[in-house]
Amino acid sequence: MSLPSGTRNYTYAQDMAILRTKTHWALFIGLLVLLMAAPLYLSNYWLGVANLIGITLIAAIGLNILTGYCGQLSIGHAGFIAVGAYTAAVLTNRLELPFLVGLISGGLTAGAIGLIFGLPSVRVKGFYLAITTIAAQFIIIWVINHWSVTGGFVGIKVPYASIGGFVFRTETSQFYLIATIAALCTFFAKNLARTRVGRAFIAIRDNDLAAEVMGINLLYYKLLAFFIGCFMAGIAGALLAHWIGFLNAEQFSLTESILYIGMIIIGGLGTTVGPIFGVIFIRLLQQILTVQVVPFLERTFTMMPSGFATGVTPMLFGLVIILFLILEPRGLAHRWALLKSAYRLWPFSY
Amino acid sequence: MAELLQFTITGIAVGMVYALIALGFVLIWKSSGVANLALGQIVLLSSWFTYAMLVQAEFPLWLAFLLVILFALGLGWMIERFALRPLIAQPILALITVTLGIGYFIEGVVIFIWPWSVDALPRLFPREVLHIGPAVVSQEYVWVVGICLLVFALLTLFFRYHKMGIAMRATADDQMAVQACGIPVTTVFSRSWMFACVVAAIGGILISSIGGITQGLIETGLKAFSVVILGGLDSFLGAIVAGPIIGLAESLGGGYLTPYLWAGVKDIIPFIIIIIVMIIKPYGLFGEVRIERI
Repeated sequence: MSLPSGTRNYTYAQDMAILRTKTHWALFIGLLVLLMAAPLYLSNYWLGVANLIGITLIAAIGLNILTGYCGQLSIGHAGFIAVGAYTAAVLTNRLELPFLVGLISGGLTAGAIGLIFGLPSVRVKGFYLAITTIAAQFIIIWVINHWSVTGGFVGIKVPYASIGGFVFRTETSQFYLIATIAALCTFFAKNLARTRVGRAFIAIRDNDLAAEVMGINLLYYKLLAFFIGCFMAGIAGALLAHWIGFLNAEQFSLTESILYIGMIIIGGLGTTVGPIFGVIFIRLLQQILTVQVVPFLERTFTMMPSGFATGVTPMLFGLVIILFLILEPRGLAHRWALLKSAYRLWPFSY
Repeated sequence: MAELLQFTITGIAVGMVYALIALGFVLIWKSSGVANLALGQIVLLSSWFTYAMLVQAEFPLWLAFLLVILFALGLGWMIERFALRPLIAQPILALITVTLGIGYFIEGVVIFIWPWSVDALPRLFPREVLHIGPAVVSQEYVWVVGICLLVFALLTLFFRYHKMGIAMRATADDQMAVQACGIPVTTVFSRSWMFACVVAAIGGILISSIGGITQGLIETGLKAFSVVILGGLDSFLGAIVAGPIIGLAESLGGGYLTPYLWAGVKDIIPFIIIIIVMIIKPYGLFGEVRIERI
């Protein structure tokens, strides 16, 4: 379908391959080299931004599987990230378990909590589910704030990540850790969408009643979507905990959850490249706004009450979400697809 | 005993305000099928606007109140015209997320104009306390209940006798039939957003005159969702009945459970109710159970 002219598939393996042509391979290896060499040309500050983007990407991929592929709207994603983050923090800080144990159990705990709050999804959908997940967000954050184990309002310190004696102390080493896991997650999501499970998710998204009639077990697949989505959120949370080094429930607010929804909408729901574009777009915009634009506005308009410029960020994000929904509901991924086909078909437009 | 009575009266008063805000939701849901998640932010913005009129511009009470109503009407019109109208007949996911975007935008506007984020409205109601039996109750609560009942009555009359009200009920029933009768559906949508914003604004003024204006008003808007869920999404009666129930649960639970559980259990009760209702009876007490067909 989207293959260059003259490329033929003769075997099933060829048909299913993600990278089909030499150009694909060259571009893919080029991208990998570019990514792995990032510490050479990025300053420490921008590496930090890249790490944040990587962590956010893992969570956004999870949300994309849940909302983009399976159609179950979750507005409590930051809450599930918090579950993973605090599980990892408590296990590594208080019980002094190794990093990998904390990482995996962070994912599993978030997945289990996700299953509990995903249970109503079997009976309700749309707005009802949105409200349930908002309630989940508030309940989770409230428990974290009040339970003595999690450090409450004070917060909790998290040690550096370490595997077998190697401690990920610098941004560079953490970059490789986060980039590897993010790449694995992207690969997993890409393949998941092409399997039986992924097709079942899409069928449920398009019409869950019709899917049930066709023999898809709604209970199993909806809960599976919640588990996978929240598991990835938990992994992202655990990585975030080790990367920041200090946790406080303020980092996992409802606005953050809404931002995650915004990311996958801007990127393009139900596509593999969508979350990548959306996350980079939102996080870079956020960085530029908070570091450059807000202080500039504060300095320039001194007659305004102090702190007014922090309102610019939510205003702009809200506007971006609304405009994307109205003008480009298929997101940046659609633009990317148009660009690719324009390149492939050049110089003829069809 | 006095304690119980006090908790009951506060609970009913706060619950009435929740019911009022929830009515703003039900109005829009019934006529256009849009779930308005920006309710809390609309409440927040109109409370701050009231503050601007009363404290910053120092208008007299009646003028300030009139301007707030006009502002809420304008706000509702703008939201419907510029954000919802282009999305008519889009999937429910887009309709829900666009209101999230609107809420985010409004939050930004509020921070932009009033960045100090906490302030108090001047007292709107007399200060003297009332003695009801053994309990001592602030007079504000009685006023709040009274105003809420008045707004309920006005809305009921509007829906029963006014032409627009009847058109709105008809639109809720069957959009196609209504269009065939020559009723402009987009006008109905627009009006329902305008009225919803006014109702939410009144709720906002009442609750912030008691508790002050904080970012917590957004959470108040979210708590109103528990009223909607418990009462049923498309039922006015449900909202009016469920409001005081949620208010009572919050106030009694907060009053009596706090010694046994962690402090601040009050804030979480409406959300726990949401989860319970969702598992047991997802369409609420009075909501219409929709049977889906392929």
